[in-house]
Amino acid sequence: MAALWGAFIGVVISVGASAALFWGTHRLFALVERRWAIVAAVSGAIVGAAAGALLSGIRSGPESEPLLAGSQLVWILGGAAVGGLAGTVAGLRWPLSAARIGAVQSRLRALTFVGPAMLFVALGLIIPLLRTIYLSLFDKRGTDFRGLANYGEIFTNAQSLDLSGWSGIFGSQLFYGAVVLFALMAAIALYRGRRRGVRADFSPGTVGIGLGAGLLLSFAVFASLRGTVMNNLWWVVAVTFLSTALGLLAAVIADRVKRESLAKSLIFLPMAISFVGAGIIWRFMYIARPPQKNQTGLLNALWVWFGTLRPSSGGAWAAVAVLAAVTVLLAGLCAFGVRRRQTAIAVGSATAAIPLLWLIYRFVGPGVGGSVAGPNDEPIAGTILFVQESPYNNVWLMVVLIWIQTGFAMVILSAAIKAVPADLIEAARVDGADERQVFFQVTLPTIVPTITVVMTAMIVLVMKVFDIVRVMTNGNFGTQVIANEMWQRSFTEFNLGLGSALAVVLFLGVVPVMGLNIRRMQRGE
Amino acid sequence: MRDHSKRRTRLRGARLLAIALAFGLIAAACGSDDDEDAAATTAAAAPATTAAAPATTEGADSLEGTKVTVFGPESSDEEAGALRDALDHFAAQTGIEITYTGARDAADQINAQAAGGNPPDIFIFPQPGKLADFARDGHLVALPADVIAAMNEHWTPAWTAFGDVDGTQYGIPNKSDLKSLVWYKPALFESKGYSVPGTWDELKALSAEMIANGDTPFCIGIESGPATGWTFTDWVEDLMLRFHTPEDYDAWVAGELAFSSDEVSGVFTEVLDLWNTPGMVFAAGGSIAATPFGDNGQPLVDNDCMMHRQASFYAAFIPEGTVFADGSADAVDTFYFPSVRGDQPVLGAGTLVGAFRDAPEVWEVMKYFGSSEYAEVRQRAQTERKGGGLSGFLSAATNQDPSVYQPLEQSFLSILQNADVVRFDGSDLMPAEVGAGTFWTEGTAVVNGDKTVAEATAAIDDSWPQ
Repeated sequence: MAALWGAFIGVVISVGASAALFWGTHRLFALVERRWAIVAAVSGAIVGAAAGALLSGIRSGPESEPLLAGSQLVWILGGAAVGGLAGTVAGLRWPLSAARIGAVQSRLRALTFVGPAMLFVALGLIIPLLRTIYLSLFDKRGTDFRGLANYGEIFTNAQSLDLSGWSGIFGSQLFYGAVVLFALMAAIALYRGRRRGVRADFSPGTVGIGLGAGLLLSFAVFASLRGTVMNNLWWVVAVTFLSTALGLLAAVIADRVKRESLAKSLIFLPMAISFVGAGIIWRFMYIARPPQKNQTGLLNALWVWFGTLRPSSGGAWAAVAVLAAVTVLLAGLCAFGVRRRQTAIAVGSATAAIPLLWLIYRFVGPGVGGSVAGPNDEPIAGTILFVQESPYNNVWLMVVLIWIQTGFAMVILSAAIKAVPADLIEAARVDGADERQVFFQVTLPTIVPTITVVMTAMIVLVMKVFDIVRVMTNGNFGTQVIANEMWQRSFTEFNLGLGSALAVVLFLGVVPVMGLNIRRMQRGE
Repeated sequence: MRDHSKRRTRLRGARLLAIALAFGLIAAACGSDDDEDAAATTAAAAPATTAAAPATTEGADSLEGTKVTVFGPESSDEEAGALRDALDHFAAQTGIEITYTGARDAADQINAQAAGGNPPDIFIFPQPGKLADFARDGHLVALPADVIAAMNEHWTPAWTAFGDVDGTQYGIPNKSDLKSLVWYKPALFESKGYSVPGTWDELKALSAEMIANGDTPFCIGIESGPATGWTFTDWVEDLMLRFHTPEDYDAWVAGELAFSSDEVSGVFTEVLDLWNTPGMVFAAGGSIAATPFGDNGQPLVDNDCMMHRQASFYAAFIPEGTVFADGSADAVDTFYFPSVRGDQPVLGAGTLVGAFRDAPEVWEVMKYFGSSEYAEVRQRAQTERKGGGLSGFLSAATNQDPSVYQPLEQSFLSILQNADVVRFDGSDLMPAEVGAGTFWTEGTAVVNGDKTVAEATAAIDDSWPQ
């Protein structure tokens, strides 16, 4: 009964307040016509008071005074007085011409509706943002001005930016792999160009090789140049690129299989798991147990089981037989591709065969997997410490986010592919285009805007990566990222200055991408 | 013209009113839930207050129905549950409504709560260093004379000193841990012919003997989520107290003796040399950094390793059903982590309560936290919740009824209360940047082999706040 009564009172109050608000606005419209100077004075005072509150709010330290008291009140009243005076002067000085009444009224009306939303945006976003920027210029408790020293600390500290390993870039296998792929790309492009009579002709396939080379090169760079900032860039490059690429691949393939919705659901499923949950799940995937014990982490269990298949043991021969059968199958597929001039199939199957050949070699020769014979010939596991071994533990952490985000990219790109007008594709087919040409010259160019949207959304998300790193390593073992660093500085150490500076760096990194996205959206309208 | 516009305005006014009505109805529909909730909680709270009334003791009448909030890091069912039981016991006596909230990252959360102006009335500080930070920032209320007097009835100066900030008392100890312990199985030692080492050199010789016999001497793991590395800092602290004087230890904790000094980096090297000896450690994938500290109890019970150096609270991590120090074949016992220089220093730790609000009911609860009554009630509740085994709780408060503790726990207490040299866990005393920051992370880096001792200690010194 009390609850019902309370609800009734709530309705009455809410209706009354809303009615008063709208009636007030309505009266305001009338006032605008007759008492322009008063309206100008009152709005000036309101704006002034808000500005005063804003300024005093941003300035106040951790031990803030009670609301609407002391210096805060002075700031607000001062702001109101100054604003009111300015409004009165302006209202008397520039009286409203009859022609502009309509314009002012429509502005007011818009403000009535947008105002409350703006107020909440200001409270929840703008004021905290300004205060964070303000705090980033101060020391740990926000009392002594330090200028840009906090920012200097971020970019001079070896923990956050360590470029001393740059020479290592040129010694890594990844670097040589990238060079070989770049050379391959150039060779193919030049060869095709000569056949067509141009300097160089980049087919989609060659561009793909180039992208792969770029990714390898970025891995070589990020594995050598270390530090928090570099880790963040690594995440952005690797996760954005791989999630989008895998998502696109899944979308294209799913488009052609029978049980499309089932396949897509399976890939999309990880999206339903929270980052923290995914981090915990993958910790179990990567976990290594003492060498004397059974391995319970899936990946290490597999790796150690491979190791127990000694060279030329029964299990190893069985594995070799299976692998050889698959390799023969792939070879047949490759030959088919060559005969039908389907380079994608030929190159794809040849590439897939390379790791299989390597595995066969390892099974027959030196053995594969992590297991060595102990003193009494009992197997002792040689586990992989996925999470502890720097710098590639970063990649194992990224796998978690790629696992989640591929589904997101796939769903959006799949929708875009389905939205490509059927007559476009039909026209291309009528003109004699094969599947590959249809995809690369009709479908892909049509969905490029969607790919851009997916990638920008992904960049913003990856830039802020926090949960996965916090759960899996908490930034230990060289996996620190800016968001987790910000958390530790701000909340564990309560260093407000440095924490805020890190937040601002992250914000500045995200803003250009957001801006790009918003611009694109507006152009799309 | 004018008339026309007026009519239009009126029409618009009517429309606006209609919209207002719609908005109001929606708002009311959303808002009414809260009203119901509020009504429900008031109704639920009422009987609770009346139920507590008959138990009110004399002198506390004025505190009837007052509310005190307590926040702290203990969050497991056993620990937080026993803590609540102990607080309920006091609530029933006084009529004060006491609510305890526990969170694993309470030490992080309290920063934001204090800065945001809504701290709890009482916070259970896991680190005296943090208590000092909060006292110096002006968040905490200094203890009144009567509360200090009540505290001094139950705690020796060695313990109350941890709540003293620049000569003013802010904190009351309410829980104690003994860290200089090595867990082992006496029957297994006997059957293998090993004897409990009395000095550091004997411990090293014993380890070498075990390795030669094909046994793994130690279980060690330093992984602990956001606090990864603290086990390493414990070893370093315990050995600092053994290789060097208590005065050196105090200078180190105060930031006067640098990490990169020969004394401290020498201890780093001593620990790492022991840990990195082939065959010394039973760990996940052979990596100490990858092994969760809580996973060391099972292999100790399974005889996968012979010893595990860990604090008294580690009883809570030893598998359920294990028997302690009763002479049976599978019993687990502890020995004192051997000394180096002949004295018997003890590394301790614990929690302290500090008050954010100056009110009589808050001081009553604070006094209770520091009393032997709290320790007894809590210990009894926690033992019960642990199914009768070691509770993991320990309090160095004097005048306690010893019968609430089991024999092994009583031996911990006598070590704690009688030691000449007691020092608090150093990382808990250092500023948070080091004690809950670089000492852990850089320690993890050296253990994982990512950095050398010289690099790590220099990095820790750099991070010490000026």
